[in-house]
Amino acid sequence: MSNLIFELKDACFSYLRKYPALAGIDIDIRQGEKIAVIGANGSGKSTLLHMLDGLIFPDKGIIKAFGVELKESAFNDENFSIGFRKKVGLVFQNPDVQLFCPTVREDIMFGPLQLGLEKERVKKRFEELAEDLKIRDLLDRSPHQLSIGEKRKVAIASTLIIDPDILILDEPTAGLDPLTTRHIIDLLIEANNSGKTIVTSTHDLHIVEEVSDVVYVFSQDKKIVKYGEPDTILKDVELLQANNLVHIHSHKHKDKIHAHPHLHLDHHSHQ
Amino acid sequence: MFKNNNFIERSIAGVLSFLKESVFSDEYALKKGFLQSIDPKIKVVLFLLVLIAMLFIRHSIILLYFYISCLTFAWLSKISIKFFLKRTWVFIPLFSLFIAVPALFSVFTPGDAIVTFKIAKASFIITSQGLSGAILFVMRVVTSVSFAVLLSITTRHFELLRTLRVFKIPQVFVMTLGMCYRYIFLFVEIVENTYIAIKSRVGAKIHYKKGQHIVAWNIAHLWARSCQFNEDVYKAMLSRGYKGEP
Repeated sequence: MSNLIFELKDACFSYLRKYPALAGIDIDIRQGEKIAVIGANGSGKSTLLHMLDGLIFPDKGIIKAFGVELKESAFNDENFSIGFRKKVGLVFQNPDVQLFCPTVREDIMFGPLQLGLEKERVKKRFEELAEDLKIRDLLDRSPHQLSIGEKRKVAIASTLIIDPDILILDEPTAGLDPLTTRHIIDLLIEANNSGKTIVTSTHDLHIVEEVSDVVYVFSQDKKIVKYGEPDTILKDVELLQANNLVHIHSHKHKDKIHAHPHLHLDHHSHQ
Repeated sequence: MFKNNNFIERSIAGVLSFLKESVFSDEYALKKGFLQSIDPKIKVVLFLLVLIAMLFIRHSIILLYFYISCLTFAWLSKISIKFFLKRTWVFIPLFSLFIAVPALFSVFTPGDAIVTFKIAKASFIITSQGLSGAILFVMRVVTSVSFAVLLSITTRHFELLRTLRVFKIPQVFVMTLGMCYRYIFLFVEIVENTYIAIKSRVGAKIHYKKGQHIVAWNIAHLWARSCQFNEDVYKAMLSRGYKGEP
């Protein structure tokens, strides 16, 4: 299909050629789609996102982006490299990795300066992001002085300022309070409504429905065990339980001990 | 942080709190004092000129005037004099006094004897030329360090880095310096949290051998983490279009 952005065929990757991180992944991502990748810790979600961002390349199998096979050599071509980085933005799981400049302002401006984006457009977007993410007061502070929630918002701003067509987010709501989580989800939905493709990896099952049209479930053996619409996946308690995404929760109601799978989707009710 | 007699823990706690208080604190740079109100570029130029001038001063008394003026600037900039003296005098005895002590004696600086004493049949003579040379050296170091510290605590570190760029210092150097500063703080936090975690599990007192073992493992762990971080930060830079040029 013409609107195919990413195409992975039997993509495998191992760290130091010893520790497998992805074992034969097949994924197609189309323009404007919302994709969620869920799975337990160490199931290969972050590795997949790094591969989609052209930071690592498959040992076996292929990954294509915009019809071009992603290889180290492809990024030696400066035009392709700049074009790709303008189109694809990744928000890293650990914001400390992404915020390496002396001040928040410099961190946000790092991408546009490197990519030579148009100054007026960047300035306008910078003002919008500072307002939308409520980070204006943080701009002249050093990243090490920020809380985890503030760091995450700045990391998101430093990617959004590039205005990429494809936004990849590695656990964007981890460790955030409910209000900031809501804010970030709204931001992602808005970005998707404006035509952007969103790929999110998460453990938070309660955000999956909102941030995805298709959900991919990763297993501990670094493979996709199932994919489908969020409604179908989230109803498959057995699958979620087998992949450490829900747990059996037991608690007491008056004198009776009561046990059931705990999905963290919403507050459960008892009759 | 660690209130027991363990030498290793006390040393780590001391180093960490010193780094946090003195290197990473913006407390004094944010005060509305005299030096804080001056443009960082002008301040850097003036301080550089003062430092260069001090290299050519041959009279301790003039250096003393400089030192007094430095303390006055610190006071005008709302810096606690006790904190300032602590900051500037901590390392000076270590680096300058030890170097200056031999210069007191006639062996290194011949001249008019002012004090003579014997230790184990060896006689030592302190000369007036040696004494004035040593005083001049220590005064020069104290005053230079005081001005340098005064500049660094009254200016936010990113402003200092920005000033370096104005002076045509290569951008790669400025960027690396900024990143070093940023990540040293992160590693200080990692070390601090690691030791709190260790203390919460092993209690207040552990055998010194075990303590050495834990410290050695933590140094190795920190090294491994910094290597991993190095890779991840580079990936984050590439992801936002970094092409190997600052």
